[in-house]
Amino acid sequence: MSFCKCLIATAAATLAFLAAAPAVAHPHVWVAARATVLFDKDGQIAGLRHVWTFDEMYSAFATQGLGKDGKPPTREELQPLARTNIESLAEFDYFSFAREAGKKLAFHEPSDYWLDADEKKVVSLHFTVLLKEPVAAKKPFSFQVYDPTYFVAFGFEKSDPVALKDAPAGCSASVMEPAPLLAAESQRLSQAASENFSPGGDLSARLAPRVVVACP
Amino acid sequence: MSVKGHPQGPLPSPPPIASVTGEGTDSRLHHEVQGRAESIPSPAQRGRAREGAFATLAALFVLLLLATPALAQRNPFAVGANEGAAAAGNSLVAWILAQQSHFYRALTGAAREAKSGMTGFWLLAGLSFAYGVFHAAGPGHGKAVMASYMIANERALKRGLVLTFLAAVLQGVVAIAIVGVAALVFNATSARMTQAAQAIELASYAAVAGLGLYLVWTKGGALMRALRARAPAPIFATAGAPASGRFVCDSVEPGHMHTADCGHFHAPDPATLGDDFSWSAALATVVAAGARPCSGAILVLVFTLAQGAFLAGVGAVAAMSLGTAVTTGALAAIAVLAKGLALRLAGGAEGHGVLIARSAEFLAALVVLAVGVALLGGAWSAGGLA
Repeated sequence: MSFCKCLIATAAATLAFLAAAPAVAHPHVWVAARATVLFDKDGQIAGLRHVWTFDEMYSAFATQGLGKDGKPPTREELQPLARTNIESLAEFDYFSFAREAGKKLAFHEPSDYWLDADEKKVVSLHFTVLLKEPVAAKKPFSFQVYDPTYFVAFGFEKSDPVALKDAPAGCSASVMEPAPLLAAESQRLSQAASENFSPGGDLSARLAPRVVVACP
Repeated sequence: MSVKGHPQGPLPSPPPIASVTGEGTDSRLHHEVQGRAESIPSPAQRGRAREGAFATLAALFVLLLLATPALAQRNPFAVGANEGAAAAGNSLVAWILAQQSHFYRALTGAAREAKSGMTGFWLLAGLSFAYGVFHAAGPGHGKAVMASYMIANERALKRGLVLTFLAAVLQGVVAIAIVGVAALVFNATSARMTQAAQAIELASYAAVAGLGLYLVWTKGGALMRALRARAPAPIFATAGAPASGRFVCDSVEPGHMHTADCGHFHAPDPATLGDDFSWSAALATVVAAGARPCSGAILVLVFTLAQGAFLAGVGAVAAMSLGTAVTTGALAAIAVLAKGLALRLAGGAEGHGVLIARSAEFLAALVVLAVGVALLGGAWSAGGLA
């Protein structure tokens, strides 16, 4: 039976390799994100304004068939795609996950949004999401931008990733890179992946940078 | 775009057994039963072999489940068809994401350089080939369908490899056709291309469900025949030559004689067992697994088109298909070989081979049907039919 055992071991090793493979995230779209934290006149955090700049390939896809005489398409020409993007984003919570003192916060539907293309036809999506209830910035307020399904890989721009608008004096924002996973978490996640359960938002959240806004 | 979660439809019940007639396998199955009666391996031997067989089969189904895509909503930035979202894994993910980002940038750069000379093109082709190899290792219904089909139907390794190759080629051809016709000829927008891709995607889901129904029907019948054959049958009596202590096996080979302690087993030959190969089912599998175009291929084609180097993009997609065929071919080979191994182990013990093989085939057929129904349901709830 040792020959059979050897065969089984080989098959098992191959299976283990293949089992590891689906665990690999494979994004198809890359986004460089910039966010502006909006404050209202009472000094409370009202919402977020996003600018998401897409990679060249997705930009080529988005601008295909648009624009005259080789020029980049106008905002008007891109508006149907922007509407589709925004409507679809509702299902994904706009890839915007905000917390105040550990409590999840909900956003309204975006009212103003558009896509534009620069002279190199690189496309950016602009939109604003307002919190359903503005929050005082005294308690820790933080947010993340990520796609739980990993189809889109988000990263913050290197320069000026986050800005504050109409913030009270002394407020600041900082981007915290994700901490390495704990051994127990890794194990749990590997298990989830090997059983092909979606690890859900909590894993994606653990791997995404977090922007923390603090006011005195 | 409304319902979250993973839609699952009820599975249709198996076909009525009475309507399925035997097709010449009965005498061999009978032969099988006789072989089992003759051979008396030790209980320990039997146990080990059975464990081995079940371990192999269990591994096969783990593989199938892994290959089944996590059904997700259509992504807001979907490119053409809806790609299965990857379940992320472990602490390597961040590193892997960084590598993919580098890789993607290299691919973009190569696609930009491709029109300036052959060096650029070969770099693009090489990167595309690698993209095909690694991308195909991710989850996707094509692999689930292909592996299930291999378990349910295929015993001939070469033919299985040809089928996976055809599916990979079809995937590339569909992407080239969509971008070639829609973008190059009609200068269509991304929305139009996405609609075209979604229509094809829906057709491929229907093909998966149809193939699943067909396999469940035929394999359900085969399983029931195997079950019935295991019951003691009157013709099994050794009426042939009791006096001499020898008897004629009720077999397709009339002259096949056995001594009472018949020294050999009747393990089913994995190469011929129930080889009811049908080209229409095989082609349906190719269509079901390969019709849905890959987002990566569409992106490369549209990008090279935008650079004025569409032909370079076509070459890159051909290389991508080749890479995909390498990975899916390996998966198909594992499915075929593992099934053969399971049959040998089980058959060697006590002739349970037929029953185990039929059960595995039937389960695999159910997997194809379940994947098809789930994909159709997902497309329905995601508004794919609207």
